Amino acid sequence: MSLDRREFLKWSAAAGAAASLSGYLSAQQKPGAQKAAKRKTEHLVLIAFAGGVRTRETFGTPANVPVMVSMAEEGVLFPRARTANLGHFGAALSIFTGNAEQRGIRENVRGKDVTLFEYLRKDLGWGPNEAWIATSGGAQQVNYAYGLHPEYGPQYGANTLDGEGIFNREFKQLIETWGRPREMPPREKELLQRVRRGLAGDAATQGAEQVERFLLEELTRGTSDLTGANASDAKALRVARNLLTLFRPRLTAVVLQDADIAHGNYNGYLEVVRRNDAAIGELLEAVRQNPQLNGRTSFLIVPEFGRDSDLNSRRGLDHGDGSDDLRFVTCLGWGPDFRRGSVVQEEVGVVDVAPTVCELFGAKARFARGKRLPGLFA
Amino acid sequence: MKDRIPVLGLFFGVFLGAGTGYSAQELAGGASAALDGRTLRVLCLELLGRPPLPEEWERWLGRPRAEYLDSTIGSKAFWEHWYEEQLYYFLLINNFRPAQDRQIAIPADLAAQRCSVREALHRIALSSSFDLRNPGADTFVTVVLEQIAGLDITRSQRELEIGKRVYDGGSGVFLGTQGASQADVVRNAVMSRSSVQHFLRREYERLLHVKPDAAALPVWIARLEKEPLAYGELLREWCTSPAFDARVARGETLENRAFVRALFVDLAGRLPRFEEAEPMREALDALADSTPLRSLSARMLLDSGKLALPKKQELANREAWVRERYLRLLGRAPTAEQLADALALLEAPEGRVETLLYALVSSPEYNRS
Repeated sequence: MSLDRREFLKWSAAAGAAASLSGYLSAQQKPGAQKAAKRKTEHLVLIAFAGGVRTRETFGTPANVPVMVSMAEEGVLFPRARTANLGHFGAALSIFTGNAEQRGIRENVRGKDVTLFEYLRKDLGWGPNEAWIATSGGAQQVNYAYGLHPEYGPQYGANTLDGEGIFNREFKQLIETWGRPREMPPREKELLQRVRRGLAGDAATQGAEQVERFLLEELTRGTSDLTGANASDAKALRVARNLLTLFRPRLTAVVLQDADIAHGNYNGYLEVVRRNDAAIGELLEAVRQNPQLNGRTSFLIVPEFGRDSDLNSRRGLDHGDGSDDLRFVTCLGWGPDFRRGSVVQEEVGVVDVAPTVCELFGAKARFARGKRLPGLFA
Repeated sequence: MKDRIPVLGLFFGVFLGAGTGYSAQELAGGASAALDGRTLRVLCLELLGRPPLPEEWERWLGRPRAEYLDSTIGSKAFWEHWYEEQLYYFLLINNFRPAQDRQIAIPADLAAQRCSVREALHRIALSSSFDLRNPGADTFVTVVLEQIAGLDITRSQRELEIGKRVYDGGSGVFLGTQGASQADVVRNAVMSRSSVQHFLRREYERLLHVKPDAAALPVWIARLEKEPLAYGELLREWCTSPAFDARVARGETLENRAFVRALFVDLAGRLPRFEEAEPMREALDALADSTPLRSLSARMLLDSGKLALPKKQELANREAWVRERYLRLLGRAPTAEQLADALALLEAPEGRVETLLYALVSSPEYNRS
């Protein structure tokens, strides 16, 4: 499977166009799809700035997050976004389902509620590569892709890719040791397909082959070599950037996690916040430099919850004191359909994000308890 | 005792199986049944986390299930796999993997019956890795309550607050017992009755992929509380029960960690080394749908030139070779059509042994054992 970069870009552009067209055609046939208001947003980047991040270290100290501050000046800020301290996993999942999700902290199973990926993919007929999540928190976070609701489920889930997991240096070394797979001649491929049909019918998925190619390309790029306090988050954001510019999915979600270093290292936590802000800046710049994304892409950025008001005995910050620092975070909206330079003082919830995203694209989060974010749309 | 259970079951049919939801005849039937390819493969995957090695196929196919269970449950390999599954359950993986001698010794100590599963869990939860994985009072106590005691944290807020106080060195009655330290939080949780119930429930679900019978669970709890080393015997009953046969017939999605080991065993005839298995498992776990990366990993391994695969010209009896691949990789014989497709592939100049193996290990059936 040797594929040079030019071929890969050509292939991914064609794949993207085909996926968009199939999505468009499918959407025309979906009676359940809401008639969307005329929006300029064609792509959305939804960043769960998770791991527990207080407003004090972000918009409360603008020097830490110059990129997000500049985005806020061109967008909408919600400084009173209520959260629930449900553990990182459940709280971050709430952003995607629009419901407060009580999940075990280390519970490695899917939630029961429908995720926004499922609403969007089912209601709007989006193809399998139109919704992605790049995560940084390991095996548990792949559960964000879809829930267990009987009307939705895996066939409408997002492609989830954990940057730290897949782009670990050891796996890259393994691949270098094994070498790339050889290109399969057409006749051999025919024979393979015949055996496969005999084994599983015509269930071969084109989408899976596309992802397989993307992974192979991505694995040989420099993502595995990223290091530093926010290495896992940086990988997730790098993956998101590459996904966005190559596939141009309608929805690219990112779940960060490294800020949780704060339990035992306050300065390390600050460093993660600063570095993640810078990495978001790179992602934003990639959007601005891409004519097919610039002016058509929106961002929503929100932590899953904050952290305690006071330092613990290890001079770190836990998350369990029930303070406003923990319970309220700041949500940022930036994009062509959003107001500019607006601060909404009204109390909102992180659970409002999922219904808002669905409405932005013309779907309805019908099982979500959250509401549309007030004062966001221009 | 475990060696004698099937025999006892035949003589005291009414007693064996009491409270388990299975009749003695059912349990005895499962134990004495000859192992077919599929059952052997599934048993091996569930108990050892890998398919049978070549020599194990030779040894066990057609032998009574009871003999296989007697030989396997309680072995060092069995406990090593059990330990790995517990670490995965607690997400003590990657940087959080315990590296202290006391934890590393757990499988050997279990195999030698120097400790029970309860004591093993206690040791795991006392490790510095567990502490690092769950930093801070709120997270630590929540995880202990959820993962060890099996409690719903939303209904255990009072216990959580007491536990946090005890964690910080304060005094309190946590889960029914006095405590005044982080170690006491762990001890009280491990020693609670609910922890035994939670452990047995999750272990049953891990192995049989269904919830245990509500009537049987209290019997198992009582037994394990009375006989701390009886876990292997319970497991043996589960693996000879109709529920296990149903699990074999149903098939279950192969977990990523089992897939990695299966891929190496089935293609290379050996277990992967730790430095091969873990990065691949970690990468597969990074995807909600790991199918594309499983497929890619299989192709890379097959095309690496590092496997001792036969050339098709060297196959004296291609049909026999194909039949054996189907048995070992899918646990069954090929249909006539599948056999014809496979032979046609090997007959064609472009068809390779690697191509056929790739088709098999990337099939949905292989990924659902």
